[in-house]
Amino acid sequence: MLAFALIGFAGFASLCLAMEKHFNELLKRKPTAVQRKALRVAGWALLLVSLLLAVQVRGLALGLVEWVAVLMAGVTLWVFGLPYQPRLLLAAAAASCVLGPLLAVLAL
Amino acid sequence: MNRKAAGLPLSYRLAVASRCLAACGGGYVLAAQVSVSGALLLPMAQVDAALTGMLLSFVFLLLAFIWCFACSNAWRAWAGVLLPSLALGLVNGLVYWMKTP
Amino acid sequence: MKEGFRQAMAWLHTWTGLIFGWLLFAIFLTGTLAYFKEEISHWAKPEVNSHPLDAERSLAMAQRYLEANAGTSSNWLIRLPSEREPALSVGWRDPQGQGRRGFVRKELDAASGAEVQARESRGGDFFYRFHFELQMPYPWGRWLASCCAFVMLLGLVTGIITHKKIFKEFFTFRPGKGQRSWLDGHNAIGVLALPFHLMISYSSLVIFMYMVMPAGILASYGNSGGYFDELFGRDEVPEAAGERVPLVPLPQLYAKVQQQAPGARMGFIQVYNPGDRNARVSLARAAADSVAYKRSANWTFDGTSGALLTQGAPESAAMMTAFTFVGLHMGNFAGPGLRWLYFVFGIAGTAVIGTGLVMWLGKRQLKHAKSAHMPGELRLVEVLNIASMSGLLLGVAAFFWANRLLPPALEGRDGWEIDSFFTLWALALLHAALRPGRRAWGEQLALGALAFGLLPLLNALTTGQGLNHSLAVGDWAMAGFDLTALGTGLFLAWAAGKMLRAPKVVAKRAAKGDKRTALEAQ
Repeated sequence: MLAFALIGFAGFASLCLAMEKHFNELLKRKPTAVQRKALRVAGWALLLVSLLLAVQVRGLALGLVEWVAVLMAGVTLWVFGLPYQPRLLLAAAAASCVLGPLLAVLAL
Repeated sequence: MNRKAAGLPLSYRLAVASRCLAACGGGYVLAAQVSVSGALLLPMAQVDAALTGMLLSFVFLLLAFIWCFACSNAWRAWAGVLLPSLALGLVNGLVYWMKTP
Repeated sequence: MKEGFRQAMAWLHTWTGLIFGWLLFAIFLTGTLAYFKEEISHWAKPEVNSHPLDAERSLAMAQRYLEANAGTSSNWLIRLPSEREPALSVGWRDPQGQGRRGFVRKELDAASGAEVQARESRGGDFFYRFHFELQMPYPWGRWLASCCAFVMLLGLVTGIITHKKIFKEFFTFRPGKGQRSWLDGHNAIGVLALPFHLMISYSSLVIFMYMVMPAGILASYGNSGGYFDELFGRDEVPEAAGERVPLVPLPQLYAKVQQQAPGARMGFIQVYNPGDRNARVSLARAAADSVAYKRSANWTFDGTSGALLTQGAPESAAMMTAFTFVGLHMGNFAGPGLRWLYFVFGIAGTAVIGTGLVMWLGKRQLKHAKSAHMPGELRLVEVLNIASMSGLLLGVAAFFWANRLLPPALEGRDGWEIDSFFTLWALALLHAALRPGRRAWGEQLALGALAFGLLPLLNALTTGQGLNHSLAVGDWAMAGFDLTALGTGLFLAWAAGKMLRAPKVVAKRAAKGDKRTALEAQ
């Protein structure tokens, strides 16, 4: 559950950064068009990977339910934490990019 | 939306009350007719048809509510829920009559 | 209402939300507590001990107990202990018609098989029942709760239509800006947990659709009996033959089910005509084993020969849809992690309703900020807001305090607990009506903070099963309850602090925020 939760969290963080306003606020510079596109593609790809992983590990019914649940929880944490601890959350998103796949591989 | 309790004319209040009634009463009748149509007309096993009819009926209740408050006046609200109910009611009545010997 | 589609939907959202908001808040909060129904019951009955699970042993014990105490009954019901429910519960139809609806229920200790001598308490079941019956007589509570569920669904759809920048502001929350922040919070919680909110409100309608939308069933079947027989695939149970034949040992049947479905946990086990030649035993798989309710996971045996007679019929697609919604709503399948997420989303739903109510008032209060007193209808909304939110929390706390403070042997003890819940809720309403708004909020939240924050201490003092004990022995239900109460206390203390301190700064900020909202609206 934690593995696909972390990957999904990273995916949403990436999608958030793909929006110009949030990129400006979080990284204090303007994103280039290529960067934004890359972030968007990466975000959706991470979400897709986490979905596939969830279904693979937990089965279709439970996998889907848990995937939606952890995604909702992750994105809620992200949105409500962002005004208070932006650096911490960015670090967490970066860390979960590494930690999520690592956990998934270890669980195999 | 700027509701000044004294500033609203009686006709407006009556229209709102009429829409509420159309949404609750008329909307419910429409939804119930949808559930009956589903139960009687859907080409499935009897229990599945009844289930599907009920599952769908709430969507129509929702649409009826939205219609009743979105349309331009209270008369249209009533027409929008009662006419389809009447049409479905006729079909349902006919099928029911044909099915019961 | 004539200014266009979005405005009309905003109007509908605002007013249905206001009228049903107070009740919806109570339904959501108690429903959220119901996700920890068993854990709350465990806390409320600390006398019930947990033991390692052993299904066959428990089943044999239940059979022994029922044969000794209910040999002449026509129907037994057994529920095995589970990870969440420590006691073995048995029930039987009483030939003399005693007990609730002629049904007697007892809880047995899973190790000794003796009746548990626990304090009388409804525990988590009270909150579970309240969230759809509202302490009203059948069927009115269920009808009203279903209406509320529909209003919630309507509120979600109209809310989405009203909130046009749903994708642009998907990640947006701007704190410290008065009304603007409340609106951001309201929108963000609503949108981010939207799948949960939609699921929970639509599935409530699905659960009670046979009650609130019965026209289809009546037109197709004439009455609901035939519909339910087909839906659940019920078997005919033969009449008792009147010839005594001993009942097959139930653990044997359990073992047969385990051969068919290895590792299956059992839910209800029913025995019809026990001790008769026509005895029937049906074992149903626990709801904890699958997301959707499964009628197919049900085995019926001949109670004298032990032969498998029938297995539940498979579900059709329409049934799977309905049963999945029901299963998702109840969340019985959820393990500890997912259960906590359910709890968090339940709180989120409660918060959406609460923030909505606060905003309704805040927006209108600003217009009267300069005048000496508020118009009567705004004051009424304020009083009801306070009583329905902080007052309800006080009622919940009162229930738990009563559970620990009332003498365990008191007659009608469970009723007293419920009375304390409603009494404190009513007192909170009175208090809110007598005190100025902000003070009332602050005082009730502060009292709530004390009441919840001290619950772990009260538990430790009255039962000796405080955090020091429960954490040491790994009783996570007990410890989780105490820690959650502590967390709730801290949160309420923080909120009370905000309410009791410096109202002026916030008011000014709110005014600024509102001006901006007004500008944006134009």
